[in-house]
Amino acid sequence: MVAVKQVATLDEDFEIRADGRDIDPDFLIRDLNEWDDFSLEEAVKIKEGSTQPVEVIAVSVGPDDVDESLRKCLAKGADRALRVWDDAIEGSDSIAIARILAAVARRESPDLLFAGVQSSDQAHASTGIATAGFLGWPHAAVVAHLTYAPGASTAAFRRELEGGVLQEGQIECPAVLTIQAGINTPRYASLRSIKQAAAKSIAVLSLEDLGLTPADVGEAGSSSHVRRMYVPDKGRAELIVGDAAEQARQLAAIIREFKGAAP
Amino acid sequence: MTGSDSVTRILFEAFSANEVRLFYALSLAASTVFCYGVYVQIRKYRRGAPYRPEGSLLARIAGMFGSVFSHRTLDRRDPAAGGAHRLIFYGFTLLFIGTATITLQYDILEPLFGIRFWHGTFYLAFSLVLDLAGVALLAGLGYMMYRRAWLKPPKLDYARPDRAPGDPDFDRSAYRIEDWAFLWTLLIIGATGYFLEAARLVWLEAEPEVWDTRWWSPIGAAIAGSLRALGMSAAAGGQLRHGLWWFHGIIALVLIALIPYTKVKHMFTAAGSLLVRDPLAAQRLPRIPESQARPGFAKITDFNWKQLLNLDACTKCGRCHEACPARAVGAPLSPRDVILSLREFANQALEYGSVPDAVELDVHGKAPGQVAMETLWSCRTCMACVEICPVAVEHVPIIVQMRRKLVEDGAMDPLLTKTLQTIHKTGNSFGESKRKRGAWTKPLPFKVKDARKEPVDVLWFVGDYASFDPRNQKVSQTLAALLTEAGVDFGILYDGESNAGNDVRRVGEEGLYEVLASANITALQAASFKSVITTDPHSYNTIRNEYPDFGGRFAIEHYTTLLSRLFASGALAASTPLHYRVTFHDPCHLGRFNQGYDAPRELLTLLGCELVEMGRCKANSFCCGAGGGRIWTPDPAGTETPAQNRIREAAAIPDLQVYVVSCPKDLTMFEDALKTTGNEGRFVVKELIELVREAVPAGRPAKREVITA
Amino acid sequence: MSGILVVAEQRRGELRPVSLELVSAAASFASTEKRTGDAATTVTVAILAQDPAAFVPALSVAGVDEIVTVTVAAREFDPDTFESALGALIDARRPDLVLTAHSVDSFGYAAALAAGRGCGFATDVFKFERIDGALVATRGGYGQKVNVEIDFPGRATVLLALRANVWKPPETPAAPHLAGPRITDFAVPAPPCRTVGGEFVEIAAGDDVDMTTAEFILAIGRGVGEEAKIAQFRALADAVGATLGCSRPLADAGWLPKSRQVGQSGKTASACKLYIAMGVSGAIQHLAGMKHVSTIVAVNSDAEASIFGVAKYGIVGDIFEIAAELRRHF
Repeated sequence: MVAVKQVATLDEDFEIRADGRDIDPDFLIRDLNEWDDFSLEEAVKIKEGSTQPVEVIAVSVGPDDVDESLRKCLAKGADRALRVWDDAIEGSDSIAIARILAAVARRESPDLLFAGVQSSDQAHASTGIATAGFLGWPHAAVVAHLTYAPGASTAAFRRELEGGVLQEGQIECPAVLTIQAGINTPRYASLRSIKQAAAKSIAVLSLEDLGLTPADVGEAGSSSHVRRMYVPDKGRAELIVGDAAEQARQLAAIIREFKGAAP
Repeated sequence: MTGSDSVTRILFEAFSANEVRLFYALSLAASTVFCYGVYVQIRKYRRGAPYRPEGSLLARIAGMFGSVFSHRTLDRRDPAAGGAHRLIFYGFTLLFIGTATITLQYDILEPLFGIRFWHGTFYLAFSLVLDLAGVALLAGLGYMMYRRAWLKPPKLDYARPDRAPGDPDFDRSAYRIEDWAFLWTLLIIGATGYFLEAARLVWLEAEPEVWDTRWWSPIGAAIAGSLRALGMSAAAGGQLRHGLWWFHGIIALVLIALIPYTKVKHMFTAAGSLLVRDPLAAQRLPRIPESQARPGFAKITDFNWKQLLNLDACTKCGRCHEACPARAVGAPLSPRDVILSLREFANQALEYGSVPDAVELDVHGKAPGQVAMETLWSCRTCMACVEICPVAVEHVPIIVQMRRKLVEDGAMDPLLTKTLQTIHKTGNSFGESKRKRGAWTKPLPFKVKDARKEPVDVLWFVGDYASFDPRNQKVSQTLAALLTEAGVDFGILYDGESNAGNDVRRVGEEGLYEVLASANITALQAASFKSVITTDPHSYNTIRNEYPDFGGRFAIEHYTTLLSRLFASGALAASTPLHYRVTFHDPCHLGRFNQGYDAPRELLTLLGCELVEMGRCKANSFCCGAGGGRIWTPDPAGTETPAQNRIREAAAIPDLQVYVVSCPKDLTMFEDALKTTGNEGRFVVKELIELVREAVPAGRPAKREVITA
Repeated sequence: MSGILVVAEQRRGELRPVSLELVSAAASFASTEKRTGDAATTVTVAILAQDPAAFVPALSVAGVDEIVTVTVAAREFDPDTFESALGALIDARRPDLVLTAHSVDSFGYAAALAAGRGCGFATDVFKFERIDGALVATRGGYGQKVNVEIDFPGRATVLLALRANVWKPPETPAAPHLAGPRITDFAVPAPPCRTVGGEFVEIAAGDDVDMTTAEFILAIGRGVGEEAKIAQFRALADAVGATLGCSRPLADAGWLPKSRQVGQSGKTASACKLYIAMGVSGAIQHLAGMKHVSTIVAVNSDAEASIFGVAKYGIVGDIFEIAAELRRHF
């Protein structure tokens, strides 16, 4: 099972919502999270490399526009897609989302659950591992390399540490793994294949289907609460103006000054 | 003159009945072999996908005969070969008609209806014409042999850039051998024909009807005279004639039998290909039919019968090979080799009793007959190949269809993948927010109308590069000012515009193209305008030629024709002639694609520039290399790019001051090439609009007229 | 406030420097708490290792009131070990605030720990303070383009994962005349280990350049566009005497060896004093490797690029033009 997120990037001249706690949705451009391209590809690679049948399920939490990202996952080789939504889910943080994903995982009983290391918009880097916490499953984060035979009781992996070092590891399955970018080369899904994937239905689950109540999700189920969102003051770089020749001249002077200081 | 009835040639004179029967039997055998060959070829074409040619059959037949009889397509870029082939063609055709005429009388009219006409004056005139036809044939063949053996044009060595030495299909000597065999066979048939004629004359010297009229076959008579001078007797002449007759006859029958199995079939396949020619082949690509499961061509049987016919029509002339900009800079693409590879593949796959399994029909790859990915991705879709092909082979649609399959498989350069994803997400190839599309209008002292909100006379479809690329934004601003000064009521679509999709389609991402085209058509249909103009030839091509297939029919012109009209009406007036020495680069999508050669030149003349054409101009303009998605794909380091090649061509013009372009991608590519070829400072690259601005100073009151487009 | 628990990180026998940054953050927050007149807020550092005592001297810095040594079976980081040990420690001590680093190790356990215990939770926090009695943490949002203030109403314990290189580590050691921190041992039962950590693998060097010792670095990013265009920057770096570095996308694409990658999962430009970033947008992961450099010059055609937020000097322009012009001076 691959948990994916449709992330948002900020459009030109974005505006903060009236309540000051989030961005006005008109200015949000939505797309599938970059890390999820890699985790989905990893799952489809395992499926394609296996002699026995493997099912890849893409799941996401969000309203109908998330179907677009799920369709992309179906086009790239996922067999089924699930979406969970209820208005009560609005305002959930990664812990509340993880509670939902854990409920879906209990329902589907996958052998492996993948998530991206983090999302490109909020970068909490929490949802996958929090899901593991709720499931009580073994877990590892920042997986940069994976060797897994479908149905096996363990998987071998490497985590990518700071400073350009990897650490090897072995983990018992079923497990939750958060997948790092660069683990593989995600395939391209042509628009035609995405359109054709629209023929495959996306099952929508409600909170009831998962045995959850509104108290488990939304702000009530979150571990944090957004007080205020604001645009920070711009950086403090001193701009060197002029045409390219003038800018280069000043930069050359900075370099020479630096080198003059160092012997 | 003797009684006309008896001035004729007696067929099978002095042949035994058995010999005649033998001859007819051999003819029947040859015809059977011929017919079987034709059947195999037609069966091969029918194994392709269905295809319905457009337009009236009569018009296409007329067009085909026009091309064939005038030989105008063969004269292009190789007039000597065109001329020599004309001699061969007319010579052979007349000789063939001659034989057919004889058969007509001898085997049909005379026995059935008692009609005879091949005698007397008719016969003598006939003999003269055929003798001259033979001279033409031999002269043409002689030149072709001289061309191959002495002149040795490089395109005739059939060296291919898409295979390496050691690959099984690298060696092309089989083709060269076949070429020489054909030349020699025709030569021998022609030469023995004359000797046969001469031998008969020597043999029948005693008959005045033959001997006295011999100079109506001048060559034969001359040879007969030499033979007699060498001491040949009438009897010897008879024997020579008998022998040569069989020799000549058998070779001719063999040639006929082998027509469908050898390059000789080009006589029919070329004509057939011309018959089904689509003049908009590269400009208007085909949609994917709903019924088709996977887009593009994966197997040889995905090709339609016209394309399979195209593969057989190719005569390996090499004009496309020479015209191709990718081939010119060493990329692993020659349009000729794409066609020949596919032909070889089709022949070994589709000419047998049963068609092999699907897996053996895959045309992608590096095995003999297959086309490699690198070859397909090198194409700039500039249509130089399609435009120059004398036999109407349509290379570009084949390449795009094969690309569609590669795109479906995701087999592309990662940067190209990224660009397609960016275009899908933001509607432009720069990854900029949609809202920034109109940002180039902000610095202008006047407001550019929003065509989504109010009606305009002229809707200006700006395009990605002209909207987002800083260098091209300046050109857009200049044009906006010029149009305002000329009193043109124009507007743009602002955020409503998306990438027109021309290059996305030519990359092979048809699904994305449909999304873009639909979005643009919806935006255009919602707006109110009289006509559309654009500064981007790529957008021009797709809106003009391809959007109608998607339900969007709009009257669109390139800015050059609008500006031309504005000058003509006096709305714009050049104050002083520019007196620059300039050359003009015809953009592929305006010039070759849509015959837009004249308006830019009119403008340059109006501006008082001295136009010096480059060698490769107008229909032969050399692509800047940006088309077919190549502007989004990196060029391999260390090789020449087409733009550099083109700038060097311009640099050879003495005292050139301005290299004029009228396409935003050209501007970007050539300014870059100017620097990287070290020609910066020798001349400048300018957009035509910028020259117009120089000549038409701002603020000078022009004739104020409301210009209706 | 009944105390702040700081989770130290160690790897391959060495204390990771971020641990001291956490102490600094805890100490300065604790001192603001003290000022408001509540009972003293203690700062306790927990160290989990096979031989935790070895790390005590390094952790005995100003601001630390207590060091809790937890002996564990796993030699290196293991999520199950951390979650069970820290869970037990939290249950025993009931701290109001638990600080850990926003690091690869904490990616592996912090969220599970927070989920399991129902703590308030926020990651990549670069500022936290008390506002009107509530604990408010600040982190970035929407690709670091905005800031978000978060609070944790009704949560007894809040777990915050702090961004590295934001707080300055305290001076070591603590002033000698003051008593050192109390050392307490905390025993935890060994949990079932479902993950087994193995060997460390250095990513292949590629060439023997060491970004961590270079004093002058010229780094290129996605703005370069294609592999063929790298050559001119390589030549420029040579001409000006800088070491050529890059951001992650170029190393991932194979255009430059991984050894040249600067950033969170690449190298840290530790010795660098002058860093010129051309065509680098300034993604947070790249900044992690270089924003500490004293003089950063950013060259980018996008005036809104995040790199300008950490740079001392900025040039908004075309990197190829600037590179060509700059080359003329050397």
